Amino acid sequence: MLFALPVLLVFVVFSWGPIVKGLVMSVQQTNLVDPVKWVGLENFRYVLTDPGVGQAALNTVWFTLLALLFGFPVPVLLAMFLSELRGKSWLYTTLAYLPVITPPVVAILLWRFFYDPSPSGMFNSILGTVGLGPYPWLDSPSSAMPSIVLEATWAGAGNAVIIYLAALTSVRADLYEAAELDGAGVVRRVWHVMLPHLRGVLLLMLLLQVIGTMQLFTEPLLFTGGGPQGSTMTILLLIYNYAFVNGDYGAATALSVLLALALAVLSAVFQFATRGWSTE
Amino acid sequence: MNRFAIRCAAGLSVPFLLAACSSAPSSTGDSGSGGQVTITVGDRPTSSDPANRASFDQKVSDFEKANPDIKLNPVETLWDPTTFQAQAAGGQLPDVLNVPFTEPQGLIARKQVADLTKALKDDGLMDELNPNVLKIAQDQSGNVYAVPTAAYSVGLVYNRELFTKAGLDPDKPPATWDEVRQDAKQIAQKTGQAGYAQMTTNNTGGWMFTTQTYAFGGSIENADGSQASFDDAPSKAALQALHDMKWVDKSMGQAVLYDIDGISKAFAAGKIGMYMSAPDAYRTLVNVNGLKASSFGIGPMPQQGGDHGTLSGGSVQIVSPNATDAEKAAAIKWIKFSYLNKYVNQDAAVTSAKSGVAGKLPVGVPGLPVIAADQWSTYQGWIKPYVNVPLANFAPYTTVAADQKIIPEPPVKAQEVYAALDPVVQTVLGNAKADIPALLTKAAGTVNAKLGR
Repeated sequence: MLFALPVLLVFVVFSWGPIVKGLVMSVQQTNLVDPVKWVGLENFRYVLTDPGVGQAALNTVWFTLLALLFGFPVPVLLAMFLSELRGKSWLYTTLAYLPVITPPVVAILLWRFFYDPSPSGMFNSILGTVGLGPYPWLDSPSSAMPSIVLEATWAGAGNAVIIYLAALTSVRADLYEAAELDGAGVVRRVWHVMLPHLRGVLLLMLLLQVIGTMQLFTEPLLFTGGGPQGSTMTILLLIYNYAFVNGDYGAATALSVLLALALAVLSAVFQFATRGWSTE
Repeated sequence: MNRFAIRCAAGLSVPFLLAACSSAPSSTGDSGSGGQVTITVGDRPTSSDPANRASFDQKVSDFEKANPDIKLNPVETLWDPTTFQAQAAGGQLPDVLNVPFTEPQGLIARKQVADLTKALKDDGLMDELNPNVLKIAQDQSGNVYAVPTAAYSVGLVYNRELFTKAGLDPDKPPATWDEVRQDAKQIAQKTGQAGYAQMTTNNTGGWMFTTQTYAFGGSIENADGSQASFDDAPSKAALQALHDMKWVDKSMGQAVLYDIDGISKAFAAGKIGMYMSAPDAYRTLVNVNGLKASSFGIGPMPQQGGDHGTLSGGSVQIVSPNATDAEKAAAIKWIKFSYLNKYVNQDAAVTSAKSGVAGKLPVGVPGLPVIAADQWSTYQGWIKPYVNVPLANFAPYTTVAADQKIIPEPPVKAQEVYAALDPVVQTVLGNAKADIPALLTKAAGTVNAKLGR
């Protein structure tokens, strides 16, 4: 116990201390220089009546849905495909993982260049050769969020691929052999051997993805600044604006607390609902 | 898709960051015994910029020699809105820091800067400064919270080469918004590039909308900053002009989302004919983004329906709110020595211009005088041999800007107001059927809620 004390102390001070402090700040008005003013639930009232918060919440949920629909299956399929390849699989794995090591800021600046809305933009000129476009990509409220999902999927898929591949290598080789002897093709092997083995890790990744995508920040900040017309303003970007642009820490922490609560409830519901699914 | 680890960490770090900011401020600077004062001064160039760093360090040591009772502690801290609040809270702000004109009013309202009125009066510097520009740094009772050291007013930057290609006179930029519309249309038709573009994201949309509203004779907030005042005729006319350029004339190109960085790059690449900016855009466009100096042109802010004025830009020096009286006095001395001396001392003017030329920085970019007008023209004479920018290209701006009225930022919560106005400009440029009066009424509601907080 005595030996654990320093670790415990560090954990309490640096991990839980700030969380508690954040909770306290959400009921204060402070500019971090003057003495603080206790305002009760005023900050919560303020953020809940800010019309921007409703839109940001909807945008955030919209991103999460799009990311689940398009972003979630991609790494699963990619991992299954890679695990089926014989020889040089390290090469394909490396290629799949490569985008992950590109620093997000660099990747986003690069993609912003790709998404140039003029007919001479990178994507538009490629699509133009087959008679499509030009598309406004980031410059239209309807296509901005899907464009961000596309980049985010490209940037993040590699991470998930590695995790799925690790899970797939734990599948006993004799199961595949048995399936092959029974005359199972690729589709049936995937359905009857791979997917059942991935089930636990898939559920975990799903939860992590929901929590992760709900905290979308870097992409809208660097791609669109929350525009056009507020269509990519997310909760986290709004928290950042409250705190670091407006200097309104009370509102920023109040919204952070609300987001944390929503995610905690979501996780609990998810765990409860999927209790029976994660084991065979 | 799962960049979850980073995102979880980012999510957790928000409350952490915010809470970490809340530690009690400790005093910076140190008043030692024997009247010795130590102050930290920001904006020291980094080691990747050796020429400027050496000249800064030289200035520090010259200052210390001239003021043996003051010790300087130079640090590389620059103004950065994302870290400023944390630094202010943690007592980590340098005693002197350079910040842009957009900030003083917010900093004053949040009490994050020192009141310098007494120190400035004691020093005598108050009388030497240009009272028009000083307004940027004053509260409503006239107390001064910062020292302006560079000032510009927003004008219309234009590409002289595109003007020529479009058959327009490059020495005659448009003087009214009707002419802007005409010229933009001609540029788009003759060259295929966007005739005019406007910043729209990260609060620059609201910022430039404010500038344009001023040019149409409107205002953003009422005098005491308690109510939004932009849902009236001048703002509507300003947005209508943008709408018509984009959707009727089709002279604004496809891109809607521009911030300063994006618009500078696109302009330097020859894709934009005109946009609103200050003369100091020259450095970003020519030295950083490679625009040909001969293509750079700037005119005064186009007006509409009378001579209304334009928004000002530039930089001020702020002093940490924790500074003692002795530290404030020392800070004023340093600000004077470091930034203003060149305007009143010929040797300092020549040295500064020479080091600018050696460091391949633009020397002689016109601006507004931060000191009294006659002293300003004397200074211009001193640096004349070292000027390395094509002054003729600035002539349309300089002949008008000196007399053009300058109007400060909205007095209360300027950045929050700009943030609320970004989507308005984006909607007008993104949606041909945008209902301009409804957009302004809605934004005014949002802004009023913020002003009342």
